[in-house]
Amino acid sequence: MRRRIPMIVCFVSGLFMSLQFFVPHRYSRIVYEDALDWMQIVFVFTLAVGIGSIIRHHGRKLMKLKPGWFYSIFTLAGLGLMAMMGLFGGIKEGTPYMWAFKYVQAPMQTTMMSLLAFFIASAAYRGFRARTKEAAVLLAAAILVMLGRVPVGYFISPVIPRIAGWVLDVPTTAAMRGIVIGVGLGAISTSLRIILGIERTYLGKE
Amino acid sequence: MRINRQIIFVFTALAILIPLVKPIGFPVHITKEVQQVYNAIDELPPGSTILISFDCESATIPEMYPMALAVLRHSFTKNLKIIGMALISEGTAIGQMALTQIANEFNKKYGVDYVYLGYRPRMDATILGLGENIVRVYPQDFYGNKIMELPMMADIHNYNDIPLVVELADDSYLISWIQYAGARYHQRIVCGTTAVMATSFYPYLNSGQIEGLIGGLKGASEYEKLIDKPGNATKGMDAQSVAHLLIILLIALGNVAYYMVRQRAEKV
Repeated sequence: MRRRIPMIVCFVSGLFMSLQFFVPHRYSRIVYEDALDWMQIVFVFTLAVGIGSIIRHHGRKLMKLKPGWFYSIFTLAGLGLMAMMGLFGGIKEGTPYMWAFKYVQAPMQTTMMSLLAFFIASAAYRGFRARTKEAAVLLAAAILVMLGRVPVGYFISPVIPRIAGWVLDVPTTAAMRGIVIGVGLGAISTSLRIILGIERTYLGKE
Repeated sequence: MRINRQIIFVFTALAILIPLVKPIGFPVHITKEVQQVYNAIDELPPGSTILISFDCESATIPEMYPMALAVLRHSFTKNLKIIGMALISEGTAIGQMALTQIANEFNKKYGVDYVYLGYRPRMDATILGLGENIVRVYPQDFYGNKIMELPMMADIHNYNDIPLVVELADDSYLISWIQYAGARYHQRIVCGTTAVMATSFYPYLNSGQIEGLIGGLKGASEYEKLIDKPGNATKGMDAQSVAHLLIILLIALGNVAYYMVRQRAEKV
């Protein structure tokens, strides 16, 4: 029964949402709007589960002094402080929450992101080798796009941005479109398997 | 040929820092996809309402924020009304900062010229819900005002009253807008995204599912040029150009070293 009820809910919801798209009747729309509300309500509960999971994971790590326990203090402190500031001080401009966002969270995250530039430069020297003909083509395309996507490319020659544009418009788009169509078909088949109860891994173990 | 990693780091830092301190002034060339975003906004009649969704995290602020400011400046210059919102929690603060900053710059009045709805979870449900009834998804705005009581929102009920959605996203959130707002409600969409994500969105641009695309800091600098208001994106272009040249030089050096080693090994 523990598995059957969720499967019935999944089947009915999946079938309704699929059919509703083609039925513009008033009652169909009412139920549809209610379903959208419920999606958000359910999400809020999953958020609570997620927060609980983080606290439990890092709490255990801290209690047992597992390797890296020191970082768990910052995770839990960050989680607790931001939540407290948001809950009690609000999240609008001029509140402690916004101050922490602007002057602590945002600079830290942008700094972490900026470090990528250094690692990419290092990796470019070490890893990007034209070992085969295919790799050489990839390398040439990458260099042209890198030049074409910054003003210096146009400065060197107006042809470079045009070639970069062609690389993005034609081969990249063709490859991406193939991937997107494949992913879309995969998503449809997986959704059908879930709605029909063939795919049950989302229910967890028996 | 081994180059110490720290030396590469020092050169990278210099390649970024020197052009920031002493700009070179490489000319910015306008690409057609950025021009399309500009045109989509520029062609709207004054008084039209656009919806801007700030779906980016603080990690990508250097790339996304100049873009947001440029689009907001253009929209307010054209006397468009703006509805701001966010589908990811961090975007809420970014949207609030950008919208407040530019609204103050143009002396725009909250509730009359712009409204900020704030964050709602579950982007699919939110995007679909906005197509039915905005008040149902957002009964109150970000500041706790009732949506029904805001003068600007009196005649805005769903996508039928919003001629254009501007999605500013640093991840694949645009796809949700295309799938739910574009496909189901035939909503016109333009997008601004990070350079790394832009390539993923070209199929949607070519198919007409989005009407324009601002890609990364370069795209933002192009937009700044279009509105004739150079900002941080334009300042960053020289640094990005030199950094790209350095990376290309490092790739070339790495390959020369690789071939030298390989030739030596073949001789042995």
